Amino acid sequence: MRYLRLLAVFARTELQLAAEYRANLVLDLCEEVIIVISSLGAVLILFTHTGVINGWTLAQMIVLLGVYYIIQGANSVLFETSFERFMEHVRLGTLDFIVIKPANSQFLVSARHVQVAQVGQIVLGVAMIGVGIAQIGEGVGVVQGLAFGVTLACGLGLVYCLLLVLSTLAFWFVRVENLLAIFWSFIDAGRFPVDVYPGWLRVTLSTVVPIGIAVTVPAQAIAGRLDAVGLVTMVAGTGLVWWFAGWFWKQGLRSYTGASA
Amino acid sequence: MSRLLRIYRALFVAEFQAATQYRVQSILWLLFAVIRPVVFLAAWSAAANAQGGAIGDFTIGDFAAYYVCLSLVTQLTMSWDAYDFELEVRQGKLSPKLLRPLHPLHYAVVSNLVFKVVTLPALLPALVLIAWTFQAHFQTQLWQLAVFVPSILLAVALRFVFGWVLAALAFWTTRLHAIMHLYDRVSFIFAGQIAPLSLLPGPLAVLGYALPFAYMQWAPSEILRGGATFDQAMLILLAQVVWLGLSWLAFVGVWRMGLREFSAVGA
Repeated sequence: MRYLRLLAVFARTELQLAAEYRANLVLDLCEEVIIVISSLGAVLILFTHTGVINGWTLAQMIVLLGVYYIIQGANSVLFETSFERFMEHVRLGTLDFIVIKPANSQFLVSARHVQVAQVGQIVLGVAMIGVGIAQIGEGVGVVQGLAFGVTLACGLGLVYCLLLVLSTLAFWFVRVENLLAIFWSFIDAGRFPVDVYPGWLRVTLSTVVPIGIAVTVPAQAIAGRLDAVGLVTMVAGTGLVWWFAGWFWKQGLRSYTGASA
Repeated sequence: MSRLLRIYRALFVAEFQAATQYRVQSILWLLFAVIRPVVFLAAWSAAANAQGGAIGDFTIGDFAAYYVCLSLVTQLTMSWDAYDFELEVRQGKLSPKLLRPLHPLHYAVVSNLVFKVVTLPALLPALVLIAWTFQAHFQTQLWQLAVFVPSILLAVALRFVFGWVLAALAFWTTRLHAIMHLYDRVSFIFAGQIAPLSLLPGPLAVLGYALPFAYMQWAPSEILRGGATFDQAMLILLAQVVWLGLSWLAFVGVWRMGLREFSAVGA
């Protein structure tokens, strides 16, 4: 509860910062709309030539794209800038001031710089899921909805954990922007279901860079193609990764020597 | 002329030494260069599979050949000067460069070419791997290979000059990133990234053939994979020449006006 309040405070201060440059804010929003619409356009063009891709219908693909933009948006809103600043803090030694604050340092590092303007992506993502579900119609029941919610949370968790682990490496290697760049290069692949990719890419997108399953599994849940085994695996896997990322963060923090050292 | 050659040789040596310092960076660029084409290649392959192996005249092998060529062409025509140029204008770093006897364009040409020479050896094996995974089917004939040479050179020049027209806009607006993102998205649709131009729905395809973006990436790729007839290839070359000429005129005009603007600000 306390952390939600903190999050609200972060969002408010960052919004105030962003509001200083209003034209910029508007441009950012326009950009998001253009990006999302052109991606949707790509899917629509693909489906003018076929009715189904690997068993995915157009409506299901729209849901998938919606999930992609929710996850992408959550990244941009909460984590991307925050982790960039975090690495800067490690390099400059100013992480000292964060570590001594009376709140969980992992939380402070992960969500300090909330980019409110990026919420547009999430809104558009939700809208697309709405459109997709309306098209699928009766097939979507309470069970699918619940499974969707759970797996979406897991997907967000997985991507967050990966970012946290990669950023934590900054404690030892200082300059790890390149590692994050690898992640960003793969994220483009999340826009299509992971099962369309060839073996090596599918494995990468399901394990090392889990953007593939993070997007595909929630969309499968809506499409009613997720069985109980898949659901349990997703939840258990996320739990495990979550625990590991937290542990890894603590190890990293322990080896942080501060500005004066 | 020989003076310019000497200058270029000196610039090449300097740039080459600078570029070899950042080898990791070039591997990262490689990932970006390969992933997006593979993403759409995979999607089209799945779509072709659902349609019994082919969409229009494109079989899965044709798609693979097209996207392999597109990756190569995208990398060869890459031009990013607008991003750097905005910073140089905003922070006033452009002023000392303008004082030098050589136009800033020359430095950009050299660093651009060197980047491509350095990254190409890493890209080629990756492309071979993709071509093999998707069983790419090239129909290239000898004359197409020959036409590809002027086509890719024109494409490189066109994308470079067009990038500089956008870069020069930084004299007026420091929010060049928004323009560049828009450029990126327009290319995404019309340069042949989401689909070979002939597979775009009617009006979009017409627009694609009319706009300059397809002649930066789609055109050489289509020729290299062997998809263009002789007449089409000649038309493509003509369009490339026309767009290059127009872009050059635009650049000269924008640059001249922009410089005046720049000194007027007093930066």
